[in-house]
Amino acid sequence: MILTPEILAIFILNAIFLAFGTVAFILSVKIYFGWDLNSNKQKQYKLEKNSYLTATIIKYIFAIKLPLFLFFIFTLDKVSTVLTGAMCAAGVVDATEFGMYLFILKIINLYLFGFWLILHKLDISNEHLPYTKLKFGFFILAFLVFLTELVLETIMFASIDPAVMVSCCGTLYSATSASYISTLFQIEPLVLLGLFYGNFILLIIFYFYKNSYIYAILNILFLIIAIISLISIFGTYIYELPTHHCPFCFLQKDYYYVGYLIYSTLFAGTFFGLATPFFKKANYYKISILFITFYTFIVTAYPMIYYIKNGVWL
Amino acid sequence: MIKLNNVTKIYEINKNNSITAIKDINLSINEGELIVLKGASGSGKSTILSLIAGLCKPTNGEVIVDEKRISKLPDDFLSLYRRQNIGFIFQKYNLIPTLSVQDNILVPLIPDNPDEQTIEKKLHYVMEKFNIIHKKDITVKNLSGGEQQRVAISRSMINDPKIIIADEPTANLDEKLSLDFIEILKQLKQTNKTIIVATHDPLFFELDFVDKIIDVKNGKILS
Repeated sequence: MILTPEILAIFILNAIFLAFGTVAFILSVKIYFGWDLNSNKQKQYKLEKNSYLTATIIKYIFAIKLPLFLFFIFTLDKVSTVLTGAMCAAGVVDATEFGMYLFILKIINLYLFGFWLILHKLDISNEHLPYTKLKFGFFILAFLVFLTELVLETIMFASIDPAVMVSCCGTLYSATSASYISTLFQIEPLVLLGLFYGNFILLIIFYFYKNSYIYAILNILFLIIAIISLISIFGTYIYELPTHHCPFCFLQKDYYYVGYLIYSTLFAGTFFGLATPFFKKANYYKISILFITFYTFIVTAYPMIYYIKNGVWL
Repeated sequence: MIKLNNVTKIYEINKNNSITAIKDINLSINEGELIVLKGASGSGKSTILSLIAGLCKPTNGEVIVDEKRISKLPDDFLSLYRRQNIGFIFQKYNLIPTLSVQDNILVPLIPDNPDEQTIEKKLHYVMEKFNIIHKKDITVKNLSGGEQQRVAISRSMINDPKIIIADEPTANLDEKLSLDFIEILKQLKQTNKTIIVATHDPLFFELDFVDKIIDVKNGKILS
């Protein structure tokens, strides 16, 4: 087990989240099963008061969780310096069998909390509070996923053994590696680029057609293709190294922390894109396409600049 | 039209201690009426006013104003309801002592952010109507009780509310100033405002323009 100040901070915050989240969970269950806005009884008035408290707790958990996700990545990077073999966060993620699941779960939870916030905003903007029952029901499910994340995170950090050598990102994300990542490199770069830019063009087309379901599906595809192409193609231009495919290294100072900008725009864009079928009244198309265009612009800029400077592609 | 249906309000001091301010109250007030709520201190008058003004929610029952169940409104909508419909004159005026007369009066306009011209027009109208325009730049802490009350009235009227609520408005005034206030109420009544006054001042009980005097005792309406 490693207890760096960053990991301790995460543990303390997790304990606080658990305490407040449990209160919010218990109140959410009460609200979900007892809510009847038409009732003038004492029980309903109490539930209405509780709903303000619960919504405030959830909002604050999310407000801390969002930057904490970036802090989590930062922590993985810091921990990599004390793990033999690790060069960046990738080594730490791979140090235990839970690392990658935790990472994916954290991203899913960010999306879930984001959806909850949108639902909450829509709910309180209508005087009849039409989504109160739905939003607290949704939180009950989200809390269970959140709880799994907290448990996984604790287990992951507890089971990291500094004495055990781990793989570096150069090995993990190598085309010659035996891992599942290496299968990504089987895809022809031109095909992958075609898929990436083709998907982007389709997103723009359906942005104008405003077909929310197709737009959301395209966003899911874009998220997957964007990550694959980032690892397989665009990342190499950020590192200016044809053999380096790590999705974590560009989060480091050496690359001006550009990874935070890249991932933030990708996640924000696809998040709002995925939200369009559920929240039709809201104008999420514009926010989504802005972030996605910005993402596409950043990742495209690296190969272009490289080509202008060197006259060759990697 | 204001309706209170089976309204109970319990203030919870702590887990084992609570005060029932009003219990199962039913009340109906028509538009343009002037109602006096009469009763001793602690009888529940102010709680009734607070419920109508949307300053608090009942423990049980419902409060309906113009067919809108204000007791069920979420906080943001309740604030909007108060801003658009209620002019509240507090017993101790609740003015900001370090601000000038006109700054105090225009506080309720801040959320709507109207243009300078509208502000000036509204400000001038209420200050002139309630005879405080000559003191507009004076800090309110330097005003007399009667003048402070006129500022409080002007502030409550700046948004042209449909309902005016006054909680013990003459408790800190001498008889002459109390009569002045009653004269203002008479003027407001003529503009078809619904006015609800909570008081135990006998001056209010024999006014010919009062529509109803409601006796409140121990959290219940007697008459």
